[in-house]
Amino acid sequence: MSPIDRRLIVSVNWPLLILALAIFAVGVLNLYSASGFRMGEEVSLQSFFNKQIIWGGCGLFAMLLVVLVDYKHLGNVAWPLFFVTILLLILVLLTGRTVSGARRWIEIGSFNFQPSELAKFAVLILGAKLLAKRSEKLGWIELFAVVGLGLVPALLVVVEPDLGTGLNILLLLCGLILYRGISGPVFKSLLVAVPVLLPCGWFVLKPYQKQRILTLLDPEKDPLGTGYHIIQSRIAIGSGQMWGKGFLEGTQSQLRYLPEKHTDFALAVFAEEWGFVGCIALLVLFCFFLLQIYSTARTSKDRFGSFLAAGVFFYFFWQILINMGMVLGIMPVVGIPLPFISYGGSATIVNFCLVGIVVNVSMRRFVFKKS
Amino acid sequence: MRFESETQHAPRSGLILLQVMVFGLFCLFTLRFWYLQVHKGEQFAQKALDNQMRQVLIDSARGRVWDSTGRPVAVSEPSFALGLVREDCEDVEATLAKVAQWTGADPAALMETFKRGKKRVKPFEPLILVTDLSYEALAHIEANDIFWPGLEIVVRQKRHYPEGSLMAHILGYVAEANEEELEKNQALSLGDSVGKQGLELTMENWLRGAKGKKQVEVDALGRQHNEQVIVEPAAGNNIALSIDLDLQRLAAGLLDGQAGAIVVLEPDSGKLLALVSQPAYDNNLFVLGVPQDKWSELRDNPMHPIQNRTTQGLYPPGSVFKLLVAAAGLSEGFITYKDGVVCSGSYQLGNRKFHCWKKGGHGYVDLRQALVQSCDVYFYKLGERMGMDRINAYAKASGFGVPTGVDLPHEKAGLIPSREWKKKRFGEAWTRGETLNASIGQGYVLVSPLQVARYVGALLNGGKLLKPSLLRDEPPEIQGVLPLADEHRRFLVETMVDTVQGGTARRLLRPDARVGGKTGTAQVVKLINADQRRKAADMPYKYRDHAWLASFGEKDGKRYVVIVLVEHGGHGGEVAAPMAKAVYDYLFGPPPGKTAVQADPVIHQLEAGD
Repeated sequence: MSPIDRRLIVSVNWPLLILALAIFAVGVLNLYSASGFRMGEEVSLQSFFNKQIIWGGCGLFAMLLVVLVDYKHLGNVAWPLFFVTILLLILVLLTGRTVSGARRWIEIGSFNFQPSELAKFAVLILGAKLLAKRSEKLGWIELFAVVGLGLVPALLVVVEPDLGTGLNILLLLCGLILYRGISGPVFKSLLVAVPVLLPCGWFVLKPYQKQRILTLLDPEKDPLGTGYHIIQSRIAIGSGQMWGKGFLEGTQSQLRYLPEKHTDFALAVFAEEWGFVGCIALLVLFCFFLLQIYSTARTSKDRFGSFLAAGVFFYFFWQILINMGMVLGIMPVVGIPLPFISYGGSATIVNFCLVGIVVNVSMRRFVFKKS
Repeated sequence: MRFESETQHAPRSGLILLQVMVFGLFCLFTLRFWYLQVHKGEQFAQKALDNQMRQVLIDSARGRVWDSTGRPVAVSEPSFALGLVREDCEDVEATLAKVAQWTGADPAALMETFKRGKKRVKPFEPLILVTDLSYEALAHIEANDIFWPGLEIVVRQKRHYPEGSLMAHILGYVAEANEEELEKNQALSLGDSVGKQGLELTMENWLRGAKGKKQVEVDALGRQHNEQVIVEPAAGNNIALSIDLDLQRLAAGLLDGQAGAIVVLEPDSGKLLALVSQPAYDNNLFVLGVPQDKWSELRDNPMHPIQNRTTQGLYPPGSVFKLLVAAAGLSEGFITYKDGVVCSGSYQLGNRKFHCWKKGGHGYVDLRQALVQSCDVYFYKLGERMGMDRINAYAKASGFGVPTGVDLPHEKAGLIPSREWKKKRFGEAWTRGETLNASIGQGYVLVSPLQVARYVGALLNGGKLLKPSLLRDEPPEIQGVLPLADEHRRFLVETMVDTVQGGTARRLLRPDARVGGKTGTAQVVKLINADQRRKAADMPYKYRDHAWLASFGEKDGKRYVVIVLVEHGGHGGEVAAPMAKAVYDYLFGPPPGKTAVQADPVIHQLEAGD
């Protein structure tokens, strides 16, 4: 353990921490509301609210652990961590516990562990390490090498099946590649190739996933399946109007059948109760949160740190984009939660750990190696 | 632009990208929020208020059950229940009071139902308060429920059994699913009926359809409009039974007032034409939940009407078992047809005397005579020579001591005793005397009427043990083959014919058909001693032996097996044979000439011990 001296404390990106905690607090408050039936009954799902607070505590503790170790050591464990993750992902497919049709968990005693969570870190750290090495823009060979490396864990996660996490891992990596920059010819080729190749991806999707994309184009076509989510979600959000119905006042009648109102559709509950004003406030919080990560990426003293921060930026960015897009009915329904707002134990801990990595980079930006 | 050192700086273009992305995110979602919440907010708010969409499950019709000729024995009828949608109800207490007034239900009980239902039923789903509304109550509610938002008439399928107790043991019944069943099957919702007994239980998945879904829009007053069926309900499958309702009714009538069982099956297909257990219960009682006092009455009835005696009634087979012991002796090479025994009326084993039912003895009997006259001494000797282990193995291979696999729940396997079994059960060693008892079908041996039917069927059909089937269109299922040579098998069938010609089952004799049979008497007194049960000692009825008759009849290429068991009926020939005869009169038509055989004293003597 390196001693934590005063200079480190001063350099911490405090605004980032405060913003993360503020968004988390909004999420907890919103869960409290989403959990309650107020039909003359006591709050029946309060456990979600209580549990989320406990998860938050665990997350902060985990973040503290992440902050203690100098992030430069992360580069040294990048490869071992990556291979261990791959092994665990294969293990989970072979021996994992099946919960509602998906093999995602490895049981260690009474503790359930999702290797797909670890995969986010492994890809983030290895991607940052590889891409930070050189400064010229990416050529073909490097591009294929990096994307190939990322595809292995991503596909293993998609097979579980956990499309949301797999997508997240790949998008994070793509973000890092864009951050590094792509060389002119390669960029031009991709500009042509991607629109051509994208329809091919259509044939890889499972029928229910295709259905979701089709539903997005015409929600009324499947009004009780996936379209139902979108229609009800829009009604809930829209009915919040300018000022919202007030805390605990959302009728939620439209969302009552949705188990996801705690998780993926938590934002709809928020939007109904806080209205346009509340939503913009939350959006501003998220934007400032992202900008704080950006500032750490900008001021980091080495490229590895910068890339780490950028990776975390993309991780959160894609989740916010996809989840909000889905709830607002402009993106297909993919199981991706909204950071700090959706209920979820492992997601909360991972989110705080990732914030911890950025804090770690920020606080060590003035500390020079003792030579 | 300065050249960036490799280790010092973040990529500039990347940094610009991040800023652009945040800016884009903000603009995109601000616009979208504005569009939904401000631009179209009014509309959505109105939608949320006026039209709440709800998904409602549509019940599917449970499959119907017919007898072999297409007469209904289990149908579903619509019944009307009164539900309360909590979300739409303004004043629960007043509404419940009103419901009590309309239906005559107890207000406290209604409140109790409401409180229990609150835990399980979502606020926007009807919580069923009263089931099976009378038409008066229904008319009343229909006229007034507009003033009581939240109340809703729910049409549900209610199972009805037109034949009631006649088919109760076969069909069983459906009743409301309990917690455990709801946990186990996600397709069930609170208040659904599931099969609890009989075919309703074993064929549950076949009979139960899949629910449909509809989407209804509900306005602020809870009125439903714009129904849209999303998933059509799929009706359950129907069942055609192999049971002939007329024969079933006749057989039940024969046993009326007595406890017993009658099984009629086709030996070549395994199809059951009648399966009667008396006394029976009315399964319609259970459909809407049987009241506690009625249930206690059924449960504690000393005649056990709930028990299906054809599959769950276990009795010592008595002389009927001699067929199997003879088969074992022939197959294992211990005897031939010619081997004879001199029966002096008893058999000495060590210092114990084992009596033949005929006090004076049968004199010299060969195997055929021993079976026709049902001579105990012959089988004592044979059993002694073979030993219990052999009898046990052979009986098991012939389908005794194992369930028949009929599609009815909770079938009992019966018991073929063995050394190990006795050691485990009583901690005592097996004695040779017990082997002798087992050889004449007494002692520990227990069989069900259906097992006997399957065995006799196998003797007739070429040795195939067929699964007894209740379904008209089910192909025969061969479960095994008797370990018995064809020649021996035919010999045993012949002795059964001889037994009708001049033995203990003479009442079955008819000139126009080939009928064979074997009577049996199962001793009860010993059982009582064995079970240490003396509470029934004051009931002479309890002391009487059970009467068995295992028989078959052939005419015009049609063959049937008829098994009759009468509890405490005394001797097989006296009580059970007339019943079997009546069944054959139905199957083959009345016999030409006289319709009733006069009982003559000779037969009486024959039957005195059997």
